[in-house]
Amino acid sequence: MASVLTVDDSPSIRQAIKIALGAEGHQVEEAGDGAEGVAKAAAKAFSLIITDLNMPVMDGLTMIRQLRAQPAYAGVPILFLTTESDAAIKAEAKAAGATGWVTKPFAPDQLVRVVAKVLAA
Amino acid sequence: MQQAQDMHDDQACDVFQVLTFDLQGETFALDAGLVREVIDLAPETGVPGAAPFVDAVINFRGRVIPLADLRLAFGMARGEPTRDSRIVVIEHEIEGEPTLIGLRADKVHEVTSIPLGDTEAPPRVGLRWRTDFIQRLAKHGGELVVLPDLAQVFATRGGALGAVVPFAPV
Amino acid sequence: MSQSDPAAIFRQEAQDLLEQVEQGLLDLAHRPGDRGLIDAVFRGLHTLKGSGAMFGFDALAAFTHHCESAFDKVRKGEAPASAELIAAVLAAQDHMRALAEGRAASEAEGAALLAQLHAAVAAGDALPASAGPDETTWRLKFSFPPESLANGLRPLPLLDELRELGACEVKALVDGVPPLAVLDPTRGHLGWEVVLTTCQPRSAIEDVFIFVLDDMTLEVEALDAAPAGEESASAQAPDAAAPLAAAGPPASAAAETANEARAARGGESVRVPAERLDELMDRVGELVIVQSRLKQVASASIDPQLRGVSEEIERLAAELRDTMMVVRMVPVAQLFNRFRRLVHDLARETGKTIDLATEGETTELDKTVIERLADPLVHLIRNAADHGLETPAQRRAAGKAEAGHITLSARQAGAEVIIAIVDDGRGVDRARVRAKAEEAGLIAADAVLTDHELLQLIFQPGFSTAQAITNLSGRGVGMDVVKKTIEGLRGTLEMTSEEGRGSKIELRIPLTLAIIDGLLVRVAGGRYVIPLAAVEECVELPPEQDLRSSGRRLINLRGQLAPFIRLRELFATGTEPDPYQKVVIVSSGQERAGQHRVGLAVDQILGDHQTVIKSLSGLHADVETFSGATILGDGGVALILDVPHLVAAGQRQDAELRAAS
Repeated sequence: MASVLTVDDSPSIRQAIKIALGAEGHQVEEAGDGAEGVAKAAAKAFSLIITDLNMPVMDGLTMIRQLRAQPAYAGVPILFLTTESDAAIKAEAKAAGATGWVTKPFAPDQLVRVVAKVLAA
Repeated sequence: MQQAQDMHDDQACDVFQVLTFDLQGETFALDAGLVREVIDLAPETGVPGAAPFVDAVINFRGRVIPLADLRLAFGMARGEPTRDSRIVVIEHEIEGEPTLIGLRADKVHEVTSIPLGDTEAPPRVGLRWRTDFIQRLAKHGGELVVLPDLAQVFATRGGALGAVVPFAPV
Repeated sequence: MSQSDPAAIFRQEAQDLLEQVEQGLLDLAHRPGDRGLIDAVFRGLHTLKGSGAMFGFDALAAFTHHCESAFDKVRKGEAPASAELIAAVLAAQDHMRALAEGRAASEAEGAALLAQLHAAVAAGDALPASAGPDETTWRLKFSFPPESLANGLRPLPLLDELRELGACEVKALVDGVPPLAVLDPTRGHLGWEVVLTTCQPRSAIEDVFIFVLDDMTLEVEALDAAPAGEESASAQAPDAAAPLAAAGPPASAAAETANEARAARGGESVRVPAERLDELMDRVGELVIVQSRLKQVASASIDPQLRGVSEEIERLAAELRDTMMVVRMVPVAQLFNRFRRLVHDLARETGKTIDLATEGETTELDKTVIERLADPLVHLIRNAADHGLETPAQRRAAGKAEAGHITLSARQAGAEVIIAIVDDGRGVDRARVRAKAEEAGLIAADAVLTDHELLQLIFQPGFSTAQAITNLSGRGVGMDVVKKTIEGLRGTLEMTSEEGRGSKIELRIPLTLAIIDGLLVRVAGGRYVIPLAAVEECVELPPEQDLRSSGRRLINLRGQLAPFIRLRELFATGTEPDPYQKVVIVSSGQERAGQHRVGLAVDQILGDHQTVIKSLSGLHADVETFSGATILGDGGVALILDVPHLVAAGQRQDAELRAAS
């Protein structure tokens, strides 16, 4: 029921997210890097953005900062994907404006729960 | 896929599912799983320079496939085509590639099961055919049925070659 | 379905990533300080690890993790991108490739590769414990600000989430609860202490409080000394795969928008599975066949409309065919890139310094041709590196630069692509070739050969210049197999060499593989196709020249004598010739003077015929006079003549007859 943008340079991850959230009825669109993510977010209003951090062209943190600078996305939940249990990265992402994270690997129902939680808030 | 594999294992253990056919009065059988189709005689194109065992090709559904004559491998006469003559199109590996091959048959009977217990390995002597061309001999319906070793027959071009050797370019 | 299964997508993605990483590493070998390259390699490994874990490729994820950590050090400037490190990660590529394809890979090999990796990264990497679940016990203590209940916080679901992570002992801290009389139920007064034992990492615990972390106090203390492992990949991943496979319906929509997204991304290209291309090619092939039947029907008809339509369809079919040819064309770059790694490895193995230069990477070839060229080219390059190039010491002694050069080039020339492998090594030792050939019985001791003929001996089966079958050039792939493969592509192979200076091998491959233009002829009851590219002209055979003569059969061609072969006799048809025979003059493909033009005597010339080549099966692989077959408009089969082999066979038969008479 929500429109979601997944930003990741890994097509398989994007596909996994698309399938998991698509099954819940969400509309999922994809972007392959931060720059594309910014472009797509500008063209359409998304209710949720899920992004990887490590991407070519423009990385996730930069994208999050840019999005947060736009009034339209100041309050939209942004989740980031990370394999790290690195507190520093999470702190940095939080400072950039991320709402929360999802650790990779994730099971689809985990993702669905987090997304539901975030959208309900 | 898994199911098919299991079935095949069963087959290997208990029973042969075969297609039986006649060659010059003798009954032969081959693994029904190999058979793609049984067709009527089709216009043949000779291949000059090929081994007599496989000296023609036919057009099978838009593909050019070789026509092999097991009769030559078993030292039989070619015989004239009759109303019952058919071509059994099988799929078999040739040098690692799955290949469609047409086999001449004087008459095609049926798909039937031959229990493993009804078969035996060919005797090393006393047979009028090459032992290495025969996989099993069976008694079925009161008749002697030959299950040929197709791989060996093909590899030796029906006996034209002495042993299984790769071809040296001329 | 396989297109939308993320695991299947990952498999392909993994191969791409591995290739990217490999190219990046090779480039890094030349420019070790390049940050962009370092980041690119790191990112590739990182994605490989993360996505791999996601889709059940645990072994791959675990293994790649080490490579990634090593490169993380480089990224952070803690270690240099040394030659050893690059070589170690490169060596690990094949292992990772095997893991990514789901093939079993040797544990011992993996351990050895990792040992090499860690040795290369001087500062020891604290190897995290293996992927076994690592249980840690934590003490959590948390409480929320009093007004948070009113703001919608519900502590109980949070406790449930903690329970999901592992065994919990929950204790409520009631110190802050005021007496009942002054208790305001809308304010929270409770705190909790939870002792949780879990194999999840700390991040999973903090995860539970993600949205309220700012507004609460949380203390997390590990009670064990054991380090919390890195990602607990194994527990999660298998579940991930199963439900995803079950999610069917959104798949097609997913695929569509995926394509959209790709196209929108400045989309110059669309990924198409190779099988689909082959199917398309088959359809076009069948269309061409049916179209030629239509042409036959139309030409026999007096209906002008029918003929008009037939001509238009013929034109469209030709255009479609040409477009298909182009669609299957792929730049040789992808082939050449593979060789960079090969040369890199060869250099290390032989201890020689080898520079590989490539030219014309954008030259395009049919996809299947490229695949079939891979092995022969690998062999030729190995040969150049192994036998052609000298060791640095030998090169110095010869006054050459220490680094040996191999140049791989591709260019299009008319209807062919010419691929050349040039090395500046020691060239072919004529004396040794001669000796080897005599020893192998290929030539008589006193046989007189031109230099060209001598070099051609190298491509004969049974010839081998390797004193020892080295690991590099061995494996039973000989020069004769290379030649055969090239000829199987209807191409030719030429070698030139200058002793002391180097050698050059030139491959000429015709551009189109599956469809050629041919001349249809009849010999007795059979029809045959002669590739039009080989045909020079057609002439009549005057009856007086058709009589059997004891000498060679020659035909007078505007004052020049050309030998001709009676296909009737070559094919042993046993029939009488038609009264007015035709002779098709072809270029025999032989370089020797006087042998260039040969005539093929046939009963009838039936006309031009666009031919979709159907290959003959393995059972006819040894019949070299025919390179394939085609299906004619009436459903009949015509065999396609391989002119060089046919001419050679004819000459052999000729020689035998002369010897007998």
